[in-house]
Amino acid sequence: FSRIPFKIGQPKKQIVPKTVERDFEREYGKLQQLEDQTKKLQKDMKKSTDADVAMSKSAVRISSNLLSNPLCEQDPNFLAMVTALDTAMKRMDSFNQEKVNQIQKTVIEPLKKFSSVFPSLNMAVKRREQTLQDYKRLQSKVEKYEEKEKTGPILAKLHQAREELRPVKEDFEAKNKQLLEEMPKFYSSRIDYFEPSFESLIRAQVVYYTEMHKIFGDLTGQIDEPGLTDEQREKENEAKLSELRALSIVADD
Amino acid sequence: MAQSRPDEFPAEETPGAECPIYEEMMHFGRAQQNQRLAVEELIKTEASYVHTIELCVLDIRAHLRQKQLPDIDLEGLFSNIDDILQVSKRFLKGLEATESQGPEQLLLISALFQEFKEEMESVYNVYCASYEQALVLVESHRKDPRLQQEIVETLNTTVSHTGASDLSFFLVMPVQRVTKYPLLLQKILENTPASDKAYFALQSAASMMLEMNTNINEYKRRKEVATKYNKVEQLTLRERLGRLNKHSIAKKTTRLSRFFMHEAGIVPKTEDKEFDYLEEKFQSLASCAAELKENIATYLDNLQVFLLSKPHECELEMEEGAAQQYRRLAGMLHRTIFPEFRRRLDQLVYQPLCSLSETLKGPQQLIRKRLDKLLDYEEIEEKKSETGNMTYDEEATMNTYLAINALLLSELPTFNHVAVQWLKQILYSLVALQRDLAKQMLQEAEIELAQLPHSHIPMPTFWKMVKDTLSQSTAQLNSFCQKFEKVTPSPMIQPLSPAEERRVLSLVSKHGPEKLYQVTSNISGSKDLDLTLQRGQIVALLHGVDTKGNTNRWLVDAGGHRGYVQAGKLQPYHLVQSQKPRMQMLVPDTGAERRRHSYTLPEGPSPQVFIAPPAFQVVAGYAFTARSPQEVSLQAGQPVTVLEPHDKKGSKEWSLVEVNGQRGYVPSSYLMMVPTQESGSWSLPAWSLPTQQT
Repeated sequence: FSRIPFKIGQPKKQIVPKTVERDFEREYGKLQQLEDQTKKLQKDMKKSTDADVAMSKSAVRISSNLLSNPLCEQDPNFLAMVTALDTAMKRMDSFNQEKVNQIQKTVIEPLKKFSSVFPSLNMAVKRREQTLQDYKRLQSKVEKYEEKEKTGPILAKLHQAREELRPVKEDFEAKNKQLLEEMPKFYSSRIDYFEPSFESLIRAQVVYYTEMHKIFGDLTGQIDEPGLTDEQREKENEAKLSELRALSIVADD
Repeated sequence: MAQSRPDEFPAEETPGAECPIYEEMMHFGRAQQNQRLAVEELIKTEASYVHTIELCVLDIRAHLRQKQLPDIDLEGLFSNIDDILQVSKRFLKGLEATESQGPEQLLLISALFQEFKEEMESVYNVYCASYEQALVLVESHRKDPRLQQEIVETLNTTVSHTGASDLSFFLVMPVQRVTKYPLLLQKILENTPASDKAYFALQSAASMMLEMNTNINEYKRRKEVATKYNKVEQLTLRERLGRLNKHSIAKKTTRLSRFFMHEAGIVPKTEDKEFDYLEEKFQSLASCAAELKENIATYLDNLQVFLLSKPHECELEMEEGAAQQYRRLAGMLHRTIFPEFRRRLDQLVYQPLCSLSETLKGPQQLIRKRLDKLLDYEEIEEKKSETGNMTYDEEATMNTYLAINALLLSELPTFNHVAVQWLKQILYSLVALQRDLAKQMLQEAEIELAQLPHSHIPMPTFWKMVKDTLSQSTAQLNSFCQKFEKVTPSPMIQPLSPAEERRVLSLVSKHGPEKLYQVTSNISGSKDLDLTLQRGQIVALLHGVDTKGNTNRWLVDAGGHRGYVQAGKLQPYHLVQSQKPRMQMLVPDTGAERRRHSYTLPEGPSPQVFIAPPAFQVVAGYAFTARSPQEVSLQAGQPVTVLEPHDKKGSKEWSLVEVNGQRGYVPSSYLMMVPTQESGSWSLPAWSLPTQQT
């Protein structure tokens, strides 16, 4: 088991200036925030695209179920309309899949890659922290000897202590400097890094909705009365309902 | 009309053959009078009828309404008497207008009946069909003493001159009146010669009125049958069981056996191609509507889930550029465009589908009942053909089947047609909604697109550009990664104690030098098989994965015990070269001590190999003055290099050291050995030569 010969104390002198510590914490804090947000964005984006695919699939199911109903055999007019609707839904589904694939490539994958830097960063910060602790301990030790009466043995120990301290201090300062330089660079790299992803998101939607507008616009032209307002549609629905309710075979409640 | 001289011809006496014309004239005269009387009766009774109805409507009902009695059902009692009044008033006006028309009157009356037939039929249909129910209401109101009191009071106040003490006195009038029309016309017709120009018209009017009454009765019967059977009864199990009795069980058993006989082909099914066709169409329609409703519901659920994830709300602190544009676009989608789409979808597609589904229930139930009654019908038919007669109940059952069948045959075509049209309408709305959604999204997306830098670049080029950019970015990320990884790890400075060294060497011999790892920070094991290790300890890797497949939990040999540790707390450890020769010198001897003093390990960072730099330093503990040329002086704290820890004679009391470039002997006890760097919690005691300790 370890024998700790000295009491581990805190150095009297503030070895890391407050401003440096504050700067470090600020920069690291921003990066920790960024890490959380990129992870969240990745998760949400995945959920969103999954839900998008589910919606599209259920739209296709609407039309393909209609197509397999016997009404289609009995009513050629119905069949024509349902076939056109089914074609439209299936085409839209394939465009949707394309859109989702693009998002996977241009948004989700890059997010993953960006996130993969954080473990290395966090490890580096931890190592710095460890070194800082070592540094503080050794500093404390040196100070302790400095306070004592300067006898031979004491001087020898002081010398040793100083010798131990030096490389650790250098190590810490190197780590600190390196991180203070690299962290802000990494943080600001996000802007250029993610710009293409967001552009892609928008362009993919434009492509998709352009197709959707064309396909359903054409379909409406084929089958519907163009230009009906919502109120008119509602009135039509109510009219049909009244017509049916007027029949004796329809129960009224 | 010929005047008869009273003294010449008695009224009863019919003259002989010498006065046939007179006879005819008399007869004709009487007929004509009767005809006129009949016409007058028609008009007068109509006027009195209208007057009474008006009384009913305006006075009695208004009076009752004013009382605001909560228990009275005015709608149920009076039904559509307003409509009847309207039609009858106009009819009366028409009738009264014919009075001045002289010879044309009969024609005009016939024409009037023809004109009003349809309207009358539709208003009387409704009234007569609900009349039974009205009577039931009158009865139930009568049973409520307070209500009855109020009603009687109203009657006394408003229509005391009629002496009526009951509402039904008035309520029955339309029912009676409508049956009178054919009779009244018939009376006129009786007194009209066939040669009259109006005869034909009158006849057709009379038969039309008869037909109207038949229709009204048929309508009433169908309505009764429909209302009786078109509701799905929500009976509890207890209620169902309560309904079982000998009769009902027998009935159902008979039906069931007949049904099986049908299915087995033992008994021919009554084929009704027309009905089967209608039913098939109905069932397709019903299944289509049900499926569509379910699918739309699923779609709406998925839409809901989609709106729950909001990637655009993540805050990457990117104030400008495409991120903001994306945020705006996605925000519009989530807050406005898609919720609007969902609302319209619900209102114009889903709700109508729900209503349509509701209307399907009545016909479905009636179709089921029809089949039940058909089985009964066939049973009775069989029995009738055998025995030649049937009971009153049996006849009623047969009539029920016929009524249901007729009802379905007459109304299903309309139902099917209207319902299919409705379905189509709903689907058109669905398509229009999708188009509108696309239009709105496209509009917003294009606004954002216009602000993007590369908006003019065609798509294939754009994707290639993005791909290239991203691969460059990946390279940059890798460089960041490397930079962070190169942030030098804390050098692990402790040299190994002899025990530790032995352990390490045994690990090496068991597992090989490449399996060594050093603990970078203290590990405290939490689970059963976890090890607790100190920073700096050396272990050998056994498995890079635990029993559950977790690659972050490694099985290691700590030279004595084995267990799991977190992989993140280990870093590869390389035995340094100079230790190797020591393996040969494990024979414990004084030489080992010497080795421990002088580590000349290469220093320098290198990511993989962790070499312990000079771990121990010998320093002069005390000052010493050299007293002979073989000795050398020391200052306290001065670092020295021990060349030999003994003198020429082998005595340990003196050590040959080099200091300040000079060599010489110094007392061994004056020398101290200290670790050159911090040893952490795994600290070695500061060693000094021989036994001196501080």
